Formats: sequence, structure tokens, C-alpha cells
Amino acid sequence: MKNGLVFFFGLFAALLLSWAGIVFGSHRQLGHLAPLFDENENKAFPERLPGVAAQGQLVYDDLGCAVCHTQQVRRPDFGSDKARGWGDRQSVARDYIYETRVQLGDSRLGPDLANVGARKPAYDADDLAKLLYAGSGAMPAYKFLFERHSIAGRQPSDYALNLHGTLAPPAGEEIVPTPRAHALVAYLLSLNHPYEYPEARPVEPAAEKKEGEKK
Amino acid sequence: MSDESLDPRLEQPGASDESLLAAHEHALAAKPATDAHYKMLPLVLLFVFSGLIFFAGTYLNRYSGRYHADIFNENARPTAPGAAAKIDPLVLGKKSYEQVCQTCHMPTGIGVEGVYPPLAGSEWVQGTPERVIRIVVFGLKGKVSVEGKEFGAAAMPVIGKVTGSGYNWSDDRIAAVLTYVRQEWGNKAGAITPEQVTAIHTKEGDRKEWSADELEKIH
Amino acid sequence: MSTAPQAEVSEIDASARWPLSLLLASALLWLLVSGALALANLAQTLSPGLLAECAALSYGRMHALQESALVYGWIANAGFAVALWILGRLGGSPLRSLNWVVVGTLFWNFAVTLGLIGIMFGQGTSIPFLHLPRYVQPLLLVAFAAIATPGVLAWIGRSRPTTFAAQWYAVAALFLFPWLFSAAQVMLLWAPVRGVLQAVAAGWFAQGAWTLWIAPLSLAAAYYLVPKITGRVIPSYDFSALSFWTLLVVGGWTGGRHLVGGPVPVWVPSMAIVSCVLLTFHYIVTALNLRGAFGQCSTALKFVAFGLAAYVIGGFTDAITATRSIAQVTQFTWFSQAQTQLALTGAFSMIVFGAIYFLVPRLANRPWPSTPLIRAHYAAAVLGTLGLVLSLAVAGIVEGRELGDAAIPFADIAAHTRVWLEIAAASQALLLVGNAVLAFHFARLLAARPVVTATSLFRPPPTMEASVS
Repeated sequence: MKNGLVFFFGLFAALLLSWAGIVFGSHRQLGHLAPLFDENENKAFPERLPGVAAQGQLVYDDLGCAVCHTQQVRRPDFGSDKARGWGDRQSVARDYIYETRVQLGDSRLGPDLANVGARKPAYDADDLAKLLYAGSGAMPAYKFLFERHSIAGRQPSDYALNLHGTLAPPAGEEIVPTPRAHALVAYLLSLNHPYEYPEARPVEPAAEKKEGEKK
Repeated sequence: MSDESLDPRLEQPGASDESLLAAHEHALAAKPATDAHYKMLPLVLLFVFSGLIFFAGTYLNRYSGRYHADIFNENARPTAPGAAAKIDPLVLGKKSYEQVCQTCHMPTGIGVEGVYPPLAGSEWVQGTPERVIRIVVFGLKGKVSVEGKEFGAAAMPVIGKVTGSGYNWSDDRIAAVLTYVRQEWGNKAGAITPEQVTAIHTKEGDRKEWSADELEKIH
Repeated sequence: MSTAPQAEVSEIDASARWPLSLLLASALLWLLVSGALALANLAQTLSPGLLAECAALSYGRMHALQESALVYGWIANAGFAVALWILGRLGGSPLRSLNWVVVGTLFWNFAVTLGLIGIMFGQGTSIPFLHLPRYVQPLLLVAFAAIATPGVLAWIGRSRPTTFAAQWYAVAALFLFPWLFSAAQVMLLWAPVRGVLQAVAAGWFAQGAWTLWIAPLSLAAAYYLVPKITGRVIPSYDFSALSFWTLLVVGGWTGGRHLVGGPVPVWVPSMAIVSCVLLTFHYIVTALNLRGAFGQCSTALKFVAFGLAAYVIGGFTDAITATRSIAQVTQFTWFSQAQTQLALTGAFSMIVFGAIYFLVPRLANRPWPSTPLIRAHYAAAVLGTLGLVLSLAVAGIVEGRELGDAAIPFADIAAHTRVWLEIAAASQALLLVGNAVLAFHFARLLAARPVVTATSLFRPPPTMEASVS
């Protein structure tokens, strides 16, 4: 360690090596990933988020939903992701190319949300709005995403939440989602990656046997 | 060894900084050749390090997916290049029919009297592939007689990948829609393969719409 | 005040007194803030209604707040103080440009505070370990440069040509972090890379922050304290250079270890798994080198010994849990949080506490006022860390196994992990109490008017025998 300059160069080279290998290397492979045009369907996948849903992604981002929810489905034989109805196939890189801030998440205190728009039975906007308002189990209530105001002689809003019991507002008042809540719900409902890319196809064990025989 | 009365409020130094640096400098420089035996520790560490490298190499050999950008499953075996997903022709055909064909030929395949010929029970549809493929790929203009009735008010548009087509469907898709139509609504004709469509498309090249008379000459 | 080279307290410490005390005071304040935020966050897990009405302190934002306060508040400030002090002492002359350290410290802490407020108002980036809003990050980089420069200058201008392991680690940490940080900022915030590459770059940064910044800071302190207090040469010292370079070269490649089974090509997590396993060589040699810390009566070394044990165990745990079969179970659970706590609270914090108990009397030229406070802090820190790490680990394993069974709903998983999370919250509270004791003690030391200066209490430091053990 005598030679100061060589030491600093060595330090920098060590950092550069890992950056070049992992980050730059994967950028070379995935940086120009394009949507796949499917002849049969006559459109390209993945599809861009519609406008309101794109705003909703920003809401998802700033509320920090990724702290409890992942958005990456693992393949069927690696964990219970498929069995829990989170997705029929593994998530692949192409699913995320149109996301401005990828929210893969690293903790599953709540279910995975990569395909929440395609759950069976399906969620609709009302269900999700109610879930956000009331919370559920470990999920906190996000009441600040909603407004409570009096109906005061006009028609109740179309978007008013249909609440019962202790959650229901007093008579003459209604709970209405704010624009942020609308956007977030639209985003959640748009989360759906059904298209089976060639790289996401499950591995066929029969093909393996054929390989063995050929060899 | 440390003092008995160690006061945690003031940690006493075990050595001066100067001597610490000097001693360690000496530790690196000293080459003890006191006996002829190998020192165990370097050997042990060498074996440990080699073992770790061996594990690393074996693991990467098995699980690296050949460093390929497309391999997301470490158990994947190499597949043939360009292996496309197999699509069920009836599924694709039905979808294609619903997107384009049913506006004229109706969802039930009965067409519109005098304007659009029916497909259900049509002798053209259930007949030889040579004719029906040409109709769909290149279009049909002029009068045509189907199930004893005359049609001619509207032309069948050009669906295949031919100059002037507004649709440019691939041969796979045309084969699928024909397969679908030939077994739907009581029709009982065989499937049509993409190869058949491609053969006729290549043979006829780029041409404008057929007429019923020209088609009747083909069998 | 003696300026003879053999004196324990010299001009080097005197000149650095107020800048480094400012750093340490900020560090301890952030330690308390991050501890309180972490406690609140765990409380929110147990009782989701807590603070849920307040958008600024909702769960996701609170998590970002506590992590940022811990890493950019406590770890950064304490790491700077310890690294600068060691580089100054071993460099043999007083640190230069210490005014820049003061300016840098003020700007760094201002930026972190501004960043935390920004997170509360939803401007956080939601990138793990890089949660602070975009607009404070360049300010952090500039402040870092101001603080780190004296340290690097102390290395370049050192009085002896050869160097010691503590200096290598300290300089590596101070030199590498700006490159790592600026690269991450560019790739993730200013010219974001596309799709999952963000996750790869974020993983590279997070693992790099540990292996190239935080771990070297801890090891710098450990490598200095162990021979300094025991008075004996580090055993097998000739391997320490190999261990140093292994950490730096291999450590950066562990970036993909949280992406096992994820939407990235398999070679990324595979390289990470292999790197975690190769890195065990570094942990083995570090344990070999620093085994003198164990079994000592010195309190500072007791802290260091605990921290070292946490460090080495953490390294082996990383290697084991990175492999696919184990990652399948522990991946998205509390277990990763346990590993983070083992590294940051177990390894870094404990070693740095030992360093603080050692260096502050030399820096401030006064002994610590009270022995019971030190012992209380030690007990709280040890019990709190053990409780926190072990309970989160068990919670993670329980959660992981139940997640793997599709029939078990999330409500049941939460119920089964609840008791472990309660223990974790209690441990976090205990840690907070211990750290409050340390902060109070430090304040008392600085405020008190000592009867005796430390200089007169130190015995003259003996000369280390240059034997190879």
C-alpha cells in the first residue's frame, strides 16, 4: 500500500469492476428491451398505462406502498405465488419497461400486486376504494385519501363509498375519494401482465428428457 | 495482559500509535525462517479459498443461465431459436372473425341478403381450399352465386399481405380464420394449414381481386 | 499538553476536538431520532391504526424516515468522526482543513433534515437506502466531499510511508462512497435506467453502501482498537491485505442478492450468490485477525467484540440465505430486516460505540463522568440488539414458511408473527433507552468542568513488541 496513486486506482478499479459487471452488463442486455409485437393479437405488449393510472403510480410511489407489497411474481415452482393467484407466470424484465419508477418491493407483509387487476374474483373500483378507506388486518386505513362532506340537498356523488356499520359517515354526509384515491385505484386496476412472452414460458420437463436422449 | 482495575471511563492505551505502526510494518516485512516446516495457516486459507472458488465455479456453471438476457428461470434448458408460442387456430380464428369478418358476414355467418354472402352452409367455404384461400387473401370483385342466390353489391376486401390491402393479415392468421369458419355454424370442412395459404400466396404473387368466373376455373 | 510523539493525547486530538465533537453530537442526536422513528414504525406494524390518519407519518413514509435517519444520520456522522480521528492519529500530524469538516457537517445534517421533511411530504424516492428526495442528494455529495477531504489528505500527507489496515479501510470508505453515491444518483434519479435495471442499480448501490462504505468504517475502527488496547500485534496480519481487497472487489458483486427469482436474468442473482459465498473468505480472515478482541476486560473492546461477532455471523448468514433454496423461504420476510439490523445495529453500531468510548476522552481531554452509565448502555445495547435481531429472524422464518403455503391467509401470518414483533419492539425500545443514556452521558462529559484532564490520567503508552504471533 505504499504507492498512494496506485492504491486509489485500485480502489476505483474495484468499484468500476462491479459496476461494469452487474449494472453495465445488465444494461447492455436489458437497456434496449422493446415491447413485443404480437401478430395474432395485433398489438404490442406490454401496454402503456392509461393517463389516470400513470398518475396513480406516482401516488403508489410517494405513499411507500412498496414497503409492504411486492410487484414481482416468482415462477410457479419457486414459492406459492401462482397458488395464491398472484400470477400464472413469472414476471420478466419486459413487464416493467414502461414503468417510470419500478416498484418491485422487497417485503410481503401484504399480497403481491403485480397482477392485482386480474384477480379472480375481480376487484372493482368500489372494493379497492373501500379497502383503502377502511384498511384490513395489517393494512392501515388511508382515510386521508378521502374527503367527508355533507350532501346538503344535492344528489349524492356517484363515487361516494358504500359503507356500513361503524365506518359509515353520519346521515347527510358522504365519503368521496380524492383525485389521488381515484388515480391510485385506477393504477391498481391496471396492474395486469397476462401476455406470455417467449422468455416467460414455463420450462417443459419433457423437453429435458428429449435432450438427454439426444445426448 | 490487561490491568485488574480497568476503568471504563478512561481506556488506557496498550501501545502508542507510533509503535503500533512500526510493529505492524515489521510484521509484514519479517520473514521468519526458524524451521523448515510450512506454516499451517496459509495452507488452510489456501484450501478454503480454493474450495470457495470451486463452489463459485460449479454454481455459476449450473445456474448462470449462460449469462443470457432471456433466461429468467435457472432450470431452463436451451430451446430452439425462434420457437414461437403455439396458438390454437380456432381461438385465433374466432377472434379474427369477430374483429373483422362479422361486420359483414354477421356473427351467425348468414350474411345480408343481396349484399354479403352467407358463410354458413356455403359451398365456396366448404369446397376446395384453392378457391376460398384466394378469396380471402386477394379479395373478390363482381357477381358471385352462393347457395343459389346472387350477391355482388359489395366487394370482398383484400385481407392478405397484398398491395392495397387495408388488413395485411399473415398467412397464419388467414389459415386460422378459414379453419374456424369451415367448422362453425354447421360447416363440416377440414382445417387449412398456414403452409397451404403460403403456397397459394407465393404462387399467385401480387395480384388484384379475383372474380367468380376466374375462381370457378380453379379446382 | 504534550506534543511529544509518544504521548497519548496530543495536538492531533486538540485541533480536532470541536469539529469531531460536532460530528459525534450530531451522530448521537440522529441515533436517538432514528431509534424513535424505528420504534414508531414497529409499533405501526403491531397497531396499524397508529398515526394512520397522518399522511406524513403513514407506514411507508415512516419506514423511509427511519432508514434514512439511521443510515444518513447516525451511520454517516459517526463513521466520519471515527474515520477522521483514526486517520489523523495514524497519519501523525493534525488534520488539515478542519473548518471544512464543520461546514460539511452542518450542510450534511441540514440536507438530511430537509430530506426527511421532504419524505414526510411525499417527495421520497422509494428506492431502498436512497429514500432521500432528489433535490438533497447533490448537497449530500458536496458535504461529503468537504468532510472527507481532511481524512484523505491525512493519508496522503502521512508521516510514515507504510500504512496500517485501519487506514486502508478508512480511506477506502471515504474515497469510494462519493463514486458509488453519485453513480446511483445518476442511474436512478437524474437519468433513470429503464425498467428492472432500476432494481439492479438500486441493489448494487445498497450492497455497495454496506460492503464499500459502512463495513470498511467499522473495520477501520476495529483494526485500530484491538491492537491499540491489547498492546499486541494483530495475528496473521499478512493476510489482512488479501481480506481487504476481497471485500472491495467481491463485495460490489453482491448487488443482485435480493433479486433471486425476480424479473432479472438469472446470472444477476447467481453472481450475487457466488459473491456472497466468496466473501466468507474475508469474514474468516477478519475473524482470524481480530480474535484478540474477545475475552478482554476493557469495555470498549467488549463492544468491539460483540460488533465483530455480529459482523462475522452476519457475513455467513448472508452467504447461506443468499442461496436459492433458502432465499425462497426468507426472501420477502422480516428475515432480511433482521440481517440489515445485524449489520447496521449489531456490527457497525457496536464497534463504533466501542470507538466512541475510547476516543472521546482523548478528543475532549476528559474522562467519561460515570461508570454505571457506561455499563447500563452496554447491557441495553447487547440485550436490545440480540432481542431485535433474533426476534426479527424468527418472525421472518415463521412468515416465510407460512407464505410458502398458499392456504394460509395473510391475517393468520400476521397473527403468528405478532409475538415476535412485540419482542422486537421491546428490544428497539431498550436500544433507544441505552442510546439515550449514551447521548446524555456525552452531553454531561462535554458540559462538565473536569477536575482532572485526561492527559494526566493516561499512563504512558508502552511500545508494542514487534513479534509475529
